[in-house]
Amino acid sequence: MNTIPALFAAPVAVGVISAVLAALISITDRIVNNYGDIDVSINGGKKSLEIKGGQPLLFGLAEQGIFIPSACGGRGSCGACKVKVHSDIGPIMPTELPFLTKEEISDNTRLSCQVKLKQNLDIEIPEELFNVRDYLGTIERIRAVTHDIKEVYVKLPDGEEVNYVSGQYGQFEAPAYDTIKTPTMRAYSMSSPPSDKTHLEFLIRLVPGGIVTTYVHTLLQEGQKIRVVGPFGDFHVRDTDAAMICVAGGSGMAPFKSIFQDRVDNGTINDRDIWYFFGARTKKDVFYLDWLTQLDRDNERFHFVPALSEPQPEDNWDGPTGLITEVLGHYLVEKIPAEQAKEGYLCGSPGMLDACMAVMQAKNMNPEKIYFDKFA
Amino acid sequence: MKMSPEFSKAQKNMQPGEITSAGFLGTDSRNIVEIIEADEERASALGLDFDEFVPVLRRLMEEGRKGLGEPVTVEGRWIVTAYEARGHLASPFEDGVFRKVNAKIVRTENGKPTPDAVLVSDLSLHLMAKYHFLQGRGSAFRLEPDLIQATLA
Repeated sequence: MNTIPALFAAPVAVGVISAVLAALISITDRIVNNYGDIDVSINGGKKSLEIKGGQPLLFGLAEQGIFIPSACGGRGSCGACKVKVHSDIGPIMPTELPFLTKEEISDNTRLSCQVKLKQNLDIEIPEELFNVRDYLGTIERIRAVTHDIKEVYVKLPDGEEVNYVSGQYGQFEAPAYDTIKTPTMRAYSMSSPPSDKTHLEFLIRLVPGGIVTTYVHTLLQEGQKIRVVGPFGDFHVRDTDAAMICVAGGSGMAPFKSIFQDRVDNGTINDRDIWYFFGARTKKDVFYLDWLTQLDRDNERFHFVPALSEPQPEDNWDGPTGLITEVLGHYLVEKIPAEQAKEGYLCGSPGMLDACMAVMQAKNMNPEKIYFDKFA
Repeated sequence: MKMSPEFSKAQKNMQPGEITSAGFLGTDSRNIVEIIEADEERASALGLDFDEFVPVLRRLMEEGRKGLGEPVTVEGRWIVTAYEARGHLASPFEDGVFRKVNAKIVRTENGKPTPDAVLVSDLSLHLMAKYHFLQGRGSAFRLEPDLIQATLA
């Protein structure tokens, strides 16, 4: 008969007790945290869903094909995933506070990544989110347009189409790779025109330390499958006669490529004055130069103004120099009639947007007529 | 090496998927106290003072932000590109929330970029200033003391 030597009795006992306790904890967790299926009513009953409880609302909705925008993949660090929750789900969490204004709080706005599905909910989301789809596309082409920006052209699955307004963005997902254990999504404006219904194109600039941009620039291959969710965003051209004052830098070019090509496609490129200010450091940082220069030549009401902040001798640059905000300010005073109605369209980093808005407002542009998607 | 409850919690928060997808420790098998002590020792050997070089890095990052997302030459010695994304990041030590701003600082010679470059962020600078934490080996935001010295030379 085998007996456990006395030397090992205590460690074995501790091990057995630990295993039993762990099992008890696991069972208890499943019982206590088993919320079952939760009923979620959207927009006053327009859509009703039954979602597995216990998970964040953001993920639960996504499982049911309702995609709320998120720039951080649900980590509570971007504030993009706002929804109105008309049910009483308790006080605002500390993780939500940095992202909500007083008005939003009084309006029942919450971050859907921080709302756990524990009870039936009545929520409200922007109507356009019902148009958002989840696509498993194929990378048809990857092309370097500058040393740090890649143009990524995605073909949608056969039989599928995308409908969006030029200026909107999609969420592009990098799979898990290297030390990144989970897929990561980031938002990028679509640079393709809406007329191309079977493809989506993005301009993705390498951000040092950036998870998705590093993947795109080092690992992404033509022919590979890639997940894209969209379209999102309310950055679009307003239907007026006002002069469009458009400003971008780097990959901020993306929505404007879509917007300008869309206007060429539908014959409206000369319906109103369009000024496009594009800032870069040196000539090698400017791209689509030929296309934009040709648009300027071919269309009397389209004006392309590239500005270099630090042109190098080899650039032989005789165009505007300085930061794009300086050039913008100069043109708003010297070249664009002061009495002309204007709308601002901006795409770039939060810092660039703030600086451009300050210049535009200093030159008497109406802040309510300055439009942007504030993400990088 | 045994850590205080504060550092043990921070170590947990630094794991991939907790605050950021990549985490703060890279592939380093050391705990954060070991990382900090080793880096403090190397910095001291190089004559680097955290109280001196961290403010320089922060100043360069802020100068870089003036480029509005494009590279900018600072003092004729560095090219700095500041990147910003929407939102904030929590410190793994649970002592603050920081803007998602990062900057690549490249030392130049005769106006041309050299290989001496560091990547900093609003959060990484806080961790350096307060805890002398330069992140684990393999982390994208890890700063080797030798590279700090070379870049700021």
